[in-house]
Amino acid sequence: MNWELLIELTKREIKQRYKQSVLGYAWVILNPLAQMLAMAFVFSRILPVSNLSVPYPIFLYVGLLPWTLLSGTLVASANSLIGNGKLLTKIYLPRKVFIQSTILAKMVDFFLAALLLVIFMVFFKVQIKPTIVWFFPIFFIQSLFTYGVSILIATFNLFYRDVQYLLNFLIMIWMYLTPIIYPQSFFPSHYHWLFAINPMAVFITSYRRVIFEGLSPDLWSLLTSLVVSLVIFGLANLVFKKLEGRFADAL
Amino acid sequence: MPSKFSIKITNVSKLFHRQNQYTIKELLPAFLRGKQTRKSFWALNKINIKIAQGESFGIVGLNGSGKSTLLKMIAGVSEQTEGSIEVNGRIAPLIELGAGFHPELTGRENIFLNGIILGLKRKEIKERFDKIVEFSELDKFIDQPVKHYSSGMYLRLAYSVAIHTDPDILLIDEILAVGDEAFQKKCLNKVRDLQKQGVSIVIVSHDQKIIRDFTTRVLLLEKGEQIFVGPTKQALEKYSRSIESGVK
Repeated sequence: MNWELLIELTKREIKQRYKQSVLGYAWVILNPLAQMLAMAFVFSRILPVSNLSVPYPIFLYVGLLPWTLLSGTLVASANSLIGNGKLLTKIYLPRKVFIQSTILAKMVDFFLAALLLVIFMVFFKVQIKPTIVWFFPIFFIQSLFTYGVSILIATFNLFYRDVQYLLNFLIMIWMYLTPIIYPQSFFPSHYHWLFAINPMAVFITSYRRVIFEGLSPDLWSLLTSLVVSLVIFGLANLVFKKLEGRFADAL
Repeated sequence: MPSKFSIKITNVSKLFHRQNQYTIKELLPAFLRGKQTRKSFWALNKINIKIAQGESFGIVGLNGSGKSTLLKMIAGVSEQTEGSIEVNGRIAPLIELGAGFHPELTGRENIFLNGIILGLKRKEIKERFDKIVEFSELDKFIDQPVKHYSSGMYLRLAYSVAIHTDPDILLIDEILAVGDEAFQKKCLNKVRDLQKQGVSIVIVSHDQKIIRDFTTRVLLLEKGEQIFVGPTKQALEKYSRSIESGVK
């Protein structure tokens, strides 16, 4: 593992993004904030989401942040190998580093945007509960899941660009099937299997439980998503290893 | 030949697949109709060479003879289908200069980024930072984004980083010198210095003068076949003959 290379590429990823913009890195916070405000305004009127333990904007934001992290990472990963094609075909580097730096840069965005959540919670006087330490294991599993899927997407997109178009489409559907703008309980229980097989639904529901309700996450579903993440991660590494020798020829 | 080699290529072949269909939309119907979806051909066939430490080695051949493919396999970016490639020491590619540069970053930031991409540690780059800047003659512009550089300045900086990585093996694809005449002379002198210091050099070029001036042994490739390996003079004679027969 070449950490210096990973850090340098992550820095490049972050620095290049908002150069030559007046507000610069503030966009990282302004973006999700604007999205949250607009969605909170609309959906609090359309959806009769009641008996939440916290104000709807905060409830929404805790779903939106991890979702944006996932979707943003997947979209960026699709381009992470192709975008560095010049390097991949000329110099030998541990090739996964391009995917890893893409993910790390998005995580930096995530934590900056999460600072805003802390401010909101103080503002709305939401009590911070000790179960919040569960955030870290949940986040770890989400990262593992994201990493595995990102490797697969980056690899396949290098050979077939259809992947990136298919991805945009799938992400949109996936978002509606994930309890982001609504709570899981919004659906009758015979639909709940849909959320059980969707790791993102498990993560977001778990974040809300540990942050808002002071409960520990549903261990059984969290464990299932850990197993799913591990299987995807293992599979992704096999695929990557098998195909990486042909990257330079396919680019 | 001393027994210590820097690059040993044994029975290396490379099979290329040319996919005829580039999207799933094209691929699926072709696949279902049982049409052949890919064509395969040997880009390189049973190559055997051993390059000694400190040797300067050339690779020549017409377009499509497999020169650059071989260089890519030595660099480790492309995998051989058969055979083995052993490399002793650190490789620095002097190819596609500035591939790791980012236009929005300053010259200084790009030196660090590119240095690390080429395999240096941060500490090592710090140590030779002044030398790199001095060689590039860009000290006045080093804190400006490289997008404001002229193309000549850009190449000079990229070249300076690449040449200062202290490699054991230098891979050169056509580009030996960049910039104006004075700077080009400086580049060539630097390559000569490295040769004297015992750095192994592999040059791929169409320019017979460069091959003659810088190498002692040459591999001649023709359509992926190893036609000849030997002293530069003989190899270039054979190469000239194959060019003539190609023209006819």
